[in-house]
Amino acid sequence: MSTHNMKFPPGLMLVALGVLGFLLLFLAIPVGNVFYTAFSNADGSFTMGHFGSFFQQPLLKESFFNSLYVSVMSVIFASLIAIPLAYLTVRFRFRGALIIQTLGVLPLIMPPFVGAVALQLLFGTSGTVNLLLQDWFDVSIPIMDGLNGVIFVESLHYFPFILLNLTVAMRNIDGAMEEAALNLGSRGWRLFRRIIFPLALPGYIAGASLVFVKVFDDLGTPLVLGITNMLAPQAYLRITQVGIDDPLGYVISVLMIVFSILALWLSASVLRNKDYSTLQKGGSSIQQRKLGRWESVLAYAWIAFVLLLVLSPHIGVLLLSFATVWSYAPLPDGYTLSHYAAVFSNSHDMMINTLLYCGLAAGIDVILGTAIAYLILRTRIPARRWLDWLASAALAVPGIVLAIGYLRTFRGVELPGTDTVLTSTWIVIMLAYSVRRLPYALRACVAALQQINVSLEEAAASVGARRHRIIRRVVVPLMAGGMLAGFVTSFITAAVELSATIMLVSRDSDAPMSYGIYLFMQSASGRGPGAALGVLAIVVVAIGTYASHLIVERASRRTRSLHAIEQE
Amino acid sequence: MKLRQSSLLAVLMAASATAYAGTVTVITSFPKELTQAYKSAFEKSNPDIKLEILNKNTVSGIAYVRETAEGRRPEVFWASAPDAFEVLGAAGLLEKASDVANHEVPDKIGSFPINDPSGLFYGQALAGYGIMYNTRLLKAKKLTPPTTWADLLKPEWFGNVGMTSPSRSGTQHLTVETILQGEGWDKGWNTIIRMAGNSKTLTDRSFGVPDGVNNGQFGAGPVIDFFGLSSKFSKFPVEFVYPDETAIVPANIALIKAAKNTEEGKKFIRFALSPEGQELLLKPEISRLPVIPYAKMNNIPQGYPDPKILAEKSKVHFDTELSQQRYFVVQSLFDQTITFRHKELQNATRAILDAQSKLAENPSDKGQALLEQAKKLAWSPLIDEKEAVSEDIQKVFQGDKKDASVSQALSKLQGQWNSEAEANYRKAIELAGQAASS
Amino acid sequence: MKKVSVECRDIRLSYGDTEVLKNINILIEPGEFFALLGPSGSGKSTLLRLIAGFNQHNAGQLLVDGKDISAIPPHRRNIGMVFQSYALWPHMTVWDNVAFGLVERRLPRAEVRERVEAALALVGLSTFARRRPNELSGGQQQRVALARTIVIEPQVLLLDEPLSNLDKKLRVQMRRELLSLQRRLGITTIFVTHDQEEAMTTADRMAVLDKGVVQQTGSPATLFDFPANRFVANFVGTMNVLEGAVRTRNYSGVTLSVDGVGDLAIPVHDDIPQGDRLAASFRPHSVRIDAAGGNADAHYVWLPGVVEEREFLGEFVRYAVRVGEQRVTADQSHFAGLSQFQIGAPVALGLEPSQIRLLSA
Repeated sequence: MSTHNMKFPPGLMLVALGVLGFLLLFLAIPVGNVFYTAFSNADGSFTMGHFGSFFQQPLLKESFFNSLYVSVMSVIFASLIAIPLAYLTVRFRFRGALIIQTLGVLPLIMPPFVGAVALQLLFGTSGTVNLLLQDWFDVSIPIMDGLNGVIFVESLHYFPFILLNLTVAMRNIDGAMEEAALNLGSRGWRLFRRIIFPLALPGYIAGASLVFVKVFDDLGTPLVLGITNMLAPQAYLRITQVGIDDPLGYVISVLMIVFSILALWLSASVLRNKDYSTLQKGGSSIQQRKLGRWESVLAYAWIAFVLLLVLSPHIGVLLLSFATVWSYAPLPDGYTLSHYAAVFSNSHDMMINTLLYCGLAAGIDVILGTAIAYLILRTRIPARRWLDWLASAALAVPGIVLAIGYLRTFRGVELPGTDTVLTSTWIVIMLAYSVRRLPYALRACVAALQQINVSLEEAAASVGARRHRIIRRVVVPLMAGGMLAGFVTSFITAAVELSATIMLVSRDSDAPMSYGIYLFMQSASGRGPGAALGVLAIVVVAIGTYASHLIVERASRRTRSLHAIEQE
Repeated sequence: MKLRQSSLLAVLMAASATAYAGTVTVITSFPKELTQAYKSAFEKSNPDIKLEILNKNTVSGIAYVRETAEGRRPEVFWASAPDAFEVLGAAGLLEKASDVANHEVPDKIGSFPINDPSGLFYGQALAGYGIMYNTRLLKAKKLTPPTTWADLLKPEWFGNVGMTSPSRSGTQHLTVETILQGEGWDKGWNTIIRMAGNSKTLTDRSFGVPDGVNNGQFGAGPVIDFFGLSSKFSKFPVEFVYPDETAIVPANIALIKAAKNTEEGKKFIRFALSPEGQELLLKPEISRLPVIPYAKMNNIPQGYPDPKILAEKSKVHFDTELSQQRYFVVQSLFDQTITFRHKELQNATRAILDAQSKLAENPSDKGQALLEQAKKLAWSPLIDEKEAVSEDIQKVFQGDKKDASVSQALSKLQGQWNSEAEANYRKAIELAGQAASS
Repeated sequence: MKKVSVECRDIRLSYGDTEVLKNINILIEPGEFFALLGPSGSGKSTLLRLIAGFNQHNAGQLLVDGKDISAIPPHRRNIGMVFQSYALWPHMTVWDNVAFGLVERRLPRAEVRERVEAALALVGLSTFARRRPNELSGGQQQRVALARTIVIEPQVLLLDEPLSNLDKKLRVQMRRELLSLQRRLGITTIFVTHDQEEAMTTADRMAVLDKGVVQQTGSPATLFDFPANRFVANFVGTMNVLEGAVRTRNYSGVTLSVDGVGDLAIPVHDDIPQGDRLAASFRPHSVRIDAAGGNADAHYVWLPGVVEEREFLGEFVRYAVRVGEQRVTADQSHFAGLSQFQIGAPVALGLEPSQIRLLSA
């Protein structure tokens, strides 16, 4: 009996309930608990008192505004870096385009808190740049002082989000839009301002809002830089120092979630009805020009400058991993391989942990992502959209808030059959990774499934295959590329996650690489090995990104040819 | 495929469960070098026991023990700050382990008891507090190497010191208490506030200070001796010196009450207090002082500091009970008036130092008077010694924070201190400005 | 406004090794509605974009009003272009779209308002000013695109396949509106299409292009009745072509030995090309179709045949008739009551001599 036309196909209902159960248990309830605690008194009654306490403390108010300030400034600086690069790539025909593409990937493979240490060494007041500047010009740039340091690190790390989204949006503008404007007398800066940028705006906003949310929620970077007057570090400090019962930590968590949701909602509503991808069949993108002599020089100069900035944390970490001593000097005193030796002999536990947690989390994500994608696109189960929203809502939950939620909700909950508490095992870390990475995997799976024309499955049904066989033999193989890409994205973003990790790791032996790096950085002799471990993490992430890129390329080539056949 | 998945899950869960039999869990804030050394040595001589390290700073360690249910707690609490142990002991979270104590260990070091008189915790290592400085930076900025706390208050040290907050570091808390007890409440706060005023930054963890000195982010700062000594070993261009106003304080180890694996936990404590365990402290990358007198030990490296001598030189008689009484108050006062108002404090200090140098060139009585006023505003504590241990304040700090009214009262008080401090600094800047121009 | 001429002199355009436009020579008179007709790949759109300034020719001159504008960049040519996709900016209202060119010219607000209102009124969209492009139908979008271009009062108007995105009924209506608009404004207009019916119904004169070469320029009637070569003959309307070797050629006409058909005596006197092989070309509607075995009127040139296919097109019935080894298309006007020939019926086709043209084979 085919369940194709049923509104409540039994097998799939079970799957839907399972997915819902997972999301409720590991996302909705912990977050809900956080909200509940922020609003409840010791006796359980409703109160706004804790919020009152929050706003009474000047420090907390200051942290709130600082977090907003840092996030907005990071978006601005990231835009300053990304917009010219996007324009260069799309508008001009020149060989540097490949460099720009790499620029768009390099920052993302370095965990920001690792980069922060390196940038401190290079740009801090006693760092390379400033020492040289003081020697030569008797001037120093306070680029790493206080909040500026956070803004600098975050802009440098997150600008690719804007670059990527903006470039895609600009490439999707039909060339005729620009020609029509040229034809009517507009050109140059006016043309860009009135036509090209507004049409690319949705792409820009998508990227910018993502940067805002991620900077707002980031715990690792401010912590490593020693900045504590921002929301995320304050939440962390309060919960770790005052205890899991401190209500102000929950107030901060609620504020963080509310603002993240606000930012995402704002960008979604601005983007609604504004899908400006106007590129039609047979249309072409906006014209590409050749660079004039002067323009060439400027362009390459800008790219070189950005490249140097972007590479500086990588260079810094690399130097640090080989350095014997690097103190108050532009460059290390000497070089050694001993840190790598130390890492390889002592740290395979951490590497195995990372592989285990991130692999399992990514696996869960892909399974859930595929299930949700199938339920949304291939069934008519009512309220299935809610699954999508619930899963995607995880984007707005900061890592530290989810961790706090887990610690509170599962306090005292034991693993069945043992007498160990869930929150002291690595399983809770893996769950946190999986829940927070689910939105990415989900998007990848949805995109992959959308590319498969439903007629392929209908054809299988018409020759007698039942639904689960269709899924196994038609849907999943065709989705494989997208699923794999989702797996890799989940994996590599989980591998460099620190915010939730730092709160949930109890024993050293449970530590994954990210926490290991953080721990290493806490002792004088640990900076070298910490940097070495950081380099390893970067290499792993880089390989993963490249592999995922290849897989997606190969998969989309296959479906592209499928499409071409369909359209002939 | 489904069967394979579920059996894999079962195996994983079983694996994580069995890992906990024969395990001793230690909560400690000590760095990896130390814990790694002890772990390897202990597991070597006790092959059937696995040592799990929970790395938490002192304050969150206390919170963790409090939060964990009985019967599931870690076995050992091992940290530098003795007041943490006072707090745990008073809360009934520690258990006596007199059968594993080492009787070679003397009762006191100087006037400071090494072991808890009621037997709830034991001294495991000794450490002193001192000043660590970066020789390269000092040379570049032409500063003379400091020998006392007061040296760090001099005008030329403005912006060149690094500190951390007592609420984030047990050892810093101890240093602060040492200064408070050594110089008295008012003068002690004066020193502390001025040192913070001269500080470039207040770091997040106690390690932030030696780290900063190592990397030349700032010139000098108060650190626990092993940070300074081990950094020197790691070939950083740094030196360490014990000022006279120092305390030799034990790092303690204790057995947690109602832990999961008490018997084997005791074994670790015994190991840590044994000659074998104590010798590990002498490793250069660890650089801590053993509790067993040198006379009873072998293999002491050349020139290694002798705690007995240092303790005799030390002027401070540390009162742990007093420290415990005003534990949270001191932390809160420091945070609200110094940590969270650091920028304002820095500005005030700079203004005062500027005015001071101007007045040195052109002395003026009126200016001097204004300057003294400014100094008093900026560099005095907001409450006096008696208030710090008064009943009202105790009620606010010891109440149940889940109760919104308590939490509000606490926030209110903290907010009050915070704003008062800010106002004081602002006024001080104003007065100093006037003093400079008079 | 002054009406200007547009002239292409010896224009050549190549992309790398591929020659896209070969030696184009066209003169468009002031105020003319001129069509560029050709199949895809003929270069017609390229030529149009060249005139607009989006393509640069390698050789030759482009003259507007007698002056060579080759060096002037597209935004300064004052030549308005309506794009095939209309290229309306989705983030602007209809009003802003239309006002764009005027705003670029920094004209005072009052004047902009006046002219935009006039342009919208001209295309009948005055009440749509606040709408956005995605709220308009295809025909309305096209009118906005038009308004946007004419509001700047260009000297030349270029239309790139303006009707190809509309459905058939709308196309007919729009081409009439376009024509009447052009007549009213009097702007020299060049429009590109692949649809010969569109070109013939609207253009004053047209040029047929194939593979980058101008095949013939002239009025629609000229091209229809007197195609210069087989390509034009086949492209503009349907044409029957019977090719054969020349048997005799004298004062009474030409006899062709048509392959697979036999001798065909054609009483045509003028305009006979030289050569041993010629092609007799005639339109389907100039072929008379009678039942076989009837009286043969000697005026016509008769061919015997068998009906192979029949298409009922409403106004006429189109028959495909097998004559020997060739196929001839014959159109018979249809009236109610007139019977149609069956498939397989033997028929006699009578060709009207005055409508037969002889072309080089």
